[in-house]
Parts: sequence; structure tokens; C-alpha cells
Amino acid sequence: MSESYDFLFKFLVIGNAGTGKSCLLHQFIEKRFKDESNHTIGVEFGSKIISVVNKMVKLQIWDTAGQERFRSVTRSYYRGAAGALLVYDITSRETYNTLTTWLSDARMLASQNIVIILCGNKKDLDADREVTFLEASRFAQENELMFLETSALTGENVEEAFVQCARKILNKIESGELDPERMGSGIQYGDAALRQLRSPRRAQPQGAQECGC
Amino acid sequence: MAKTENGRPSVDMGSIRTLNSSHLEDESSLGSDSEINGFTSERQTDRYGFIGGAQQYSEESAQDVPPEVLRQREVKWLDMLSHWDKWMIKRFNKVRLRCQKGIPPALRGRAWLYLSGGKVKREQNQGKFQELDSQPGDPKWIDVIEKDLHRQFPFHEMFVSRGGHGQQDLFRVLKAYTLYRPEEGYCQAQAPIAAVLLMHMPAEDAFWGLVQICEKYLPGYYSPGLEAIQLDGEILFALLRRSSPIAFRHLEKHKIDPILYMTEWFMCAFSRTLPWASVLRVWDMFLCDGVKIIFRVGLVLLKCTLGTREKLKTCQGLYETMELLRAIDPRYMQEGFLVRE
Repeated sequence: MSESYDFLFKFLVIGNAGTGKSCLLHQFIEKRFKDESNHTIGVEFGSKIISVVNKMVKLQIWDTAGQERFRSVTRSYYRGAAGALLVYDITSRETYNTLTTWLSDARMLASQNIVIILCGNKKDLDADREVTFLEASRFAQENELMFLETSALTGENVEEAFVQCARKILNKIESGELDPERMGSGIQYGDAALRQLRSPRRAQPQGAQECGC
Repeated sequence: MAKTENGRPSVDMGSIRTLNSSHLEDESSLGSDSEINGFTSERQTDRYGFIGGAQQYSEESAQDVPPEVLRQREVKWLDMLSHWDKWMIKRFNKVRLRCQKGIPPALRGRAWLYLSGGKVKREQNQGKFQELDSQPGDPKWIDVIEKDLHRQFPFHEMFVSRGGHGQQDLFRVLKAYTLYRPEEGYCQAQAPIAAVLLMHMPAEDAFWGLVQICEKYLPGYYSPGLEAIQLDGEILFALLRRSSPIAFRHLEKHKIDPILYMTEWFMCAFSRTLPWASVLRVWDMFLCDGVKIIFRVGLVLLKCTLGTREKLKTCQGLYETMELLRAIDPRYMQEGFLVRE
């Protein structure tokens, strides 16, 4: 069976080492917690097609190594990402404190318009919490991020995080704020969308709006 | 949730490619997790100590050596190990040849320690490991190391239990290194290297083996900034131009930076990529001949996976290419094949 989708979005999962990035990815794709796992060296990746507001969207997700010294290496993955999950661990203040650095890396290296959702992971370990919901939510507001607390262990809010991020990108495409045609937007049309575009009714002069910068 | 709002059936065409997923053909084979869940009741280890995972022993990936041949090799290796310096100075080519044939499993740990120069280092620094081992270590590194202890070869019997002896030794070795080279600290890619060594030797020896690998074999690979690995990525790419122009042009066309596919290969010396029989054979040669072995293996894998136009037809972009490189055909990772190539 060939995959059919309207859009393809490139996503990143970033954040400090040990915050559960790979487990979030695994939970999202496999709907299962990955207990026996290696830590990521370089990159892992996965893809999944989801349905968001009547559109089929294929997410192509790049999950990066979190340790500081890998940053020079993982930066190569940022290019042209449309969305990102920025992950910290609610039981580790240190992982929260470095969010600003991750954020500026993402905006600088991926794209100014990258849609980011902040994920306070390990929500199931509430007893060991070091970062409150409210302060993280405030940080998110101040930095124009969406925000969810997630648990890769139980699966709580994991799918939501990806879906919300994708939905916001779709909204921005529809409102014209994001132009999928632009180089490095991290967005591609899928077969289904191309068919629609090519049908006479919708034959918009796509080429005409290039270079609005 | 959007999925249910619009009444469309949820589409789950997910696929994931993870580190040890080299045998994956389709989504369902990821179900190996269920085997793992079962291991408490019925735990069986393979000849290398693995209880599951993609690197486990399989007849296709390993070559069996007849017992008589193995005995002969052991005799030869015992002789070499007892006159090591003489062999290394006068008959190094013979040593190399014997490493290529594969070091007998019973002597592998000792041979690795000798080959790497770890043995000499240990003798020159008597008591050093014990001294480092008794120090508390910088909390900054301890914290990161502790997070990684249960994430090294979770399918290997030695590392499977939290706080078990394997994980404890791993902690001691990695912590000792951060005290030995405080300016380098700990790099996450050192953990699998140390773990492979620990599968073959006691903690003190593994420590000196790690020191040698970090300083002599792969200098700079683990340092902050990771410049050395990026440089070797460029070198690998340049070498590929000659060894497989088709693969080279494909990677160039799609702007696939070497760092995207070779980081884990090189930093972990293929210990997380290949079937275990092949890892051991590659390490036998790597510890004898150094990093050029790693380059050669990398080139073989690239050439086999991306070296013909036919293979490239199905992979039209960065993601597809990375997928292909993550799911290398087992036949190209078979120990006999790799060593020949």
C-alpha cells in the first residue's frame, strides 16, 4: 500500500540528555513505552501519518542526542524543520534551565517560524517534581510556545503534543502565515495534496507568490 | 483529538528506525519488545551473553570455527601473548593476520588489552585506577553517567539489571576517566566503548583500554566540540568518492552530511550497529590496525547500501537514505563478508 498524505512536516525532538526524547518518539509511533533502550548517539528517527483537521499529515521526526557536546553534530538536523518538541524533565531543574539555549538554537538554525511545543516530560513522576506546571507554562507564554506536560511512560499527552504542533502548522499554512513553497519551510505537499492542487478548480498560480521576503 | 473529531479511522502507518533495528523490514518486527518483556520468565543468553535485541547471535551473521582450528589458534595466541614484545616488533604482519582471522574468544580480552597498549599503561601507572576509583568525582559528570548506566546494551546479561555488577563497573570506569582527564570529562559515546571492554576484562583493564582508545585510537572523538569526528566524517566522504562514486554522488546531491550517518558508527566503533559476531571481528582488527579499520567498514557499508543506481531508485531524499543506512542488509554485516571486504 502506498502512503497517501496531504502534507509532510519535518519535526525535531530536542532537549537535554535523559529527558526522555527517544521514549516520547517511541511512545508516539509504537504506542508503547520503550524500557530497554540505548541512549541516542547522533540521531534516531521515525515517521507516522496522523489525521489533523481533515488533513493527512506525515510527520518525519528527528530525535537528537541531548548531551551538550553533541550540539555541534545535531545542529545539522535542524535545517528546515517545521515543528519541534522541546523537552525537559519535570523532575530535573537543570533540564529546565537550559531551555533558552535550545530555543535559540532551534529558532536560529531551523527557521524563525518553527512551531515549538514545550513538553514537560515524566509527568508520572510527580512526587519528584522540581519544576511546577505554572512556571513552565509562564515560560511557554513568554516565549510563544505551546505547552503540555507529558509522560512517555503512560503515554499521557504524547500524541497530543505531536498533533497540537501539527495542527498549529496547518493553521499557519491556511492563514498564509507559512508558505510551504518556501525553501527550508520543512513542509512538503504529499501526493494527495498535489492531486488537489493540480485539479483545475484549485489551480492557484502557486509560482506567482514566491519570494515574499 | 483530531483523529476522532473528524470521524476518520486512525491511520497508523508508523515506522521507526532505531539504533539496533538493522533487521527491520516492516513495522511489526519492532515487536521484539514483547520478547524482552518475557525474559524474566525464560531468559536464555546467546554465546555472547545477549538475551535479545538485534545484535544477538544468529547463524547467518556468524561463522563457526571448528573446535580443532580454535584449539590451534589458542596455542598460537598463547605463544604470542607470552612473547608479546618480540612478536609486535619482529612479526607484526603475522599478528595482524591472526587478528584478521579472529582472536579466540577465550583469549580476546587479554589480546585486546595487549594490542591496545592498555597493559603497558596499566603497568606504568600502578595504583592509579584504585586512586581514581576511590575519589568521589565531579557531580556534574556523575549525574550524566548515572543516567546512562542502564542504557548500555540493555540486552546483555551483564548490563541488564539496574545496579548490577556490570553497571557498577561501568560507572567506576567512566567516572575514573573523568578524573583522569577532567578537561575532557564524559562523553556519552564513551559508555558503549567501555561496556564492550567490560564484557571482556575487569574494570581496571577496561579503564586502561578506554584510555588508549580515547587517546591513541580515536583521539579527540569524545572531546567537547567533537571536531575530530566531524573531520573524519569529511575524510570518509572524500574516500567514498573513490570507493563508490555512485554512493558519493547520491549523498552529495541530497546534501547528506557525513555527520548524519557516521557519528554513531565511528564514535562507538560499530558496537551498536553490527551483529555481535561482526563487532568482535571488527574490534579485533581495529585494536590491531587502528581507525583505518573503522573507515574501511564504513566505506563497505556505504558502498553496499548505496552503491548501485538500482538501490538508489527507492530512496529519493535525505530521510529515505537515512532509513536505508539504518536498516543495512544483514548480509553486508556478516562477519565473513566484512572481514573479506
